[in-house]
Amino acid sequence: MNRAELDRFEKLVGQLESVYAELSLLSKKSPNDAVNPFKLRFVNTLLGASAVTLGSGYMPFTDFEQFDSDNVPQNSDVVFILSQYLQCFEKLRADNVVYRNGTWDWEIDAVGAEGVGDSGKVYVRSTRPKRLRD
Amino acid sequence: MPAILGTAERMTLVRPRLTDCYEVLVAQSDLDFAIPFLDEDIPLHVDPFLLWKSPSQQDQALHTAVTNSFNHLNFLLSHGRGSEARDTLIAASECAEVGLGHSKKRRGSRIGTTKADEILSLFSAIEEYSKGGFSHFEEIQLYVHGISKDRVSDICCSFLKSFLMDYTTQACEELGIPLVHVGVPATYDYRENRFVEDQRAWLPVNPETGAPILVVPRRWLRFNPWINFDEYYRDYCPFDDVFQPDEPRDPVRVLRYNRDHFGLVRDYIAVKERTQAECRNDPLFRQIPVSSAKRKLSTIRGLATGKADGADRKFEDATSQLLSSLLYPHLDFAAVQSRTDSGVLIRDLIFYNNRSLDFLDEIHADYGSRQIVFELKNVAEITRDHINQLNRYLDSGLGRFGVFVARHPLKKAMFKNTVDLWAGQRRCIIAVTDDDVALMVTLLEGRQRPPVDVLKKKYVEFRRACPS
Repeated sequence: MNRAELDRFEKLVGQLESVYAELSLLSKKSPNDAVNPFKLRFVNTLLGASAVTLGSGYMPFTDFEQFDSDNVPQNSDVVFILSQYLQCFEKLRADNVVYRNGTWDWEIDAVGAEGVGDSGKVYVRSTRPKRLRD
Repeated sequence: MPAILGTAERMTLVRPRLTDCYEVLVAQSDLDFAIPFLDEDIPLHVDPFLLWKSPSQQDQALHTAVTNSFNHLNFLLSHGRGSEARDTLIAASECAEVGLGHSKKRRGSRIGTTKADEILSLFSAIEEYSKGGFSHFEEIQLYVHGISKDRVSDICCSFLKSFLMDYTTQACEELGIPLVHVGVPATYDYRENRFVEDQRAWLPVNPETGAPILVVPRRWLRFNPWINFDEYYRDYCPFDDVFQPDEPRDPVRVLRYNRDHFGLVRDYIAVKERTQAECRNDPLFRQIPVSSAKRKLSTIRGLATGKADGADRKFEDATSQLLSSLLYPHLDFAAVQSRTDSGVLIRDLIFYNNRSLDFLDEIHADYGSRQIVFELKNVAEITRDHINQLNRYLDSGLGRFGVFVARHPLKKAMFKNTVDLWAGQRRCIIAVTDDDVALMVTLLEGRQRPPVDVLKKKYVEFRRACPS
């Protein structure tokens, strides 16, 4: 992963978390109500971009790519799928952060004239993996 | 120019409308006028009060024209031209071209001379009308027995026929409905103040009879006129004054009493004018509210399959009301049909296919469905016989697309049977279950997507299962 891919990762995760939070509220209110086509279009856009970033190794399901508007997906369906994607993004992050000098940092490839550390990698501050056991 | 359906195709339509027989498939909710049926009346009436209270200068002017035309009868009477007044009133008393009312054949009858004289006598019997004329001619309902909403509507339409002809021509040209240069009986000439026979105009015609058809703006239509005798009798009539304590309450007596007590009628009209803000046109179709839809769904959910305790009838009644509302406005409800097949009474819901959505357009194009049949089945499971029955029914010219409204999903073998029907004969039979109806109700409540999308979902699922 390089800096550009890391930027894309962070942008995507931020968007997915925001959509997840919005739809979770709707899902709690009426889990069986349908997601309107406008929202669904953007959810699908995010899922398409997520597939590129996650790659086949981190995709939550091999037989799911996007929602089909004709299937009238419900709030709870979309929330379920988004939570799976968020988990997989976290797994990708956990595999790419290292504990270094008391902090958790992304370890990414240097591009061009970026300053490199001892290992020839660039380190960007991150947080502790969520599922790491103490 | 849209194609006109052949006689055989028209015969297969249930409650054919003007637009359907010319292949102009448009939802009623998208039109300014009420789409007339070809074989029967629309059960609504033109209420002259709606023209009076309309903010539109045109509507107000038309109301003035109607009132002036009616009051001109008084002028004729006062100038010794009573027979001319009578003939004019009789000619005005029926306007078959608009097809409003309760006739099953789009044909009513004019009033007789006795009734016409009775109406005209109001001008001489009541001084206020003799001097000032009527300001709302529908007040005649409060004096003359047998004059009700359909007659008021017809008189109004007759005096406005010339305007309605222009309105119809314009509306049909916009939609592309073919027009024919045809003679229209009894058109009122506002300049001459008399009816002209056989005025010719470009109008749509009934393809069966060749009779001209007029369309009426929806904003003028109500089930009951704002000023009507039933309400007057129920809420405003001073029974203590009209009847002796033990006397039977005969409404005709009230009519006679009103002739001698104009003040009562004047006060009633004043109240109606004061409360004009509450007077609104009635929609051609009224959707049931969400709470009612939920109640009907829980009724359906609580019913056992089969016929015990009339469960089948209750299922059919609740489903009819529910689906007609859920699918509105994308599918206009046409009728509930009953038929007997193999000794079994079957009830169907028929909807007009307006092609208002892409998949409805596909159903029209691929399966020739101008109307869509929903067969109601309160059975534990759909069997091969049921599928064959619906398939045979579709053969009668209703297209090759049908829907079961069933309690449970089709068993695997039956679903395969429907897929085989598609593969062999390109027939599409899908099943909508309790769960699907529940989803429709949820969508109706959530308003995120139209409930008709569930029908599309079932269709898409079916098509995906079909061999490519």
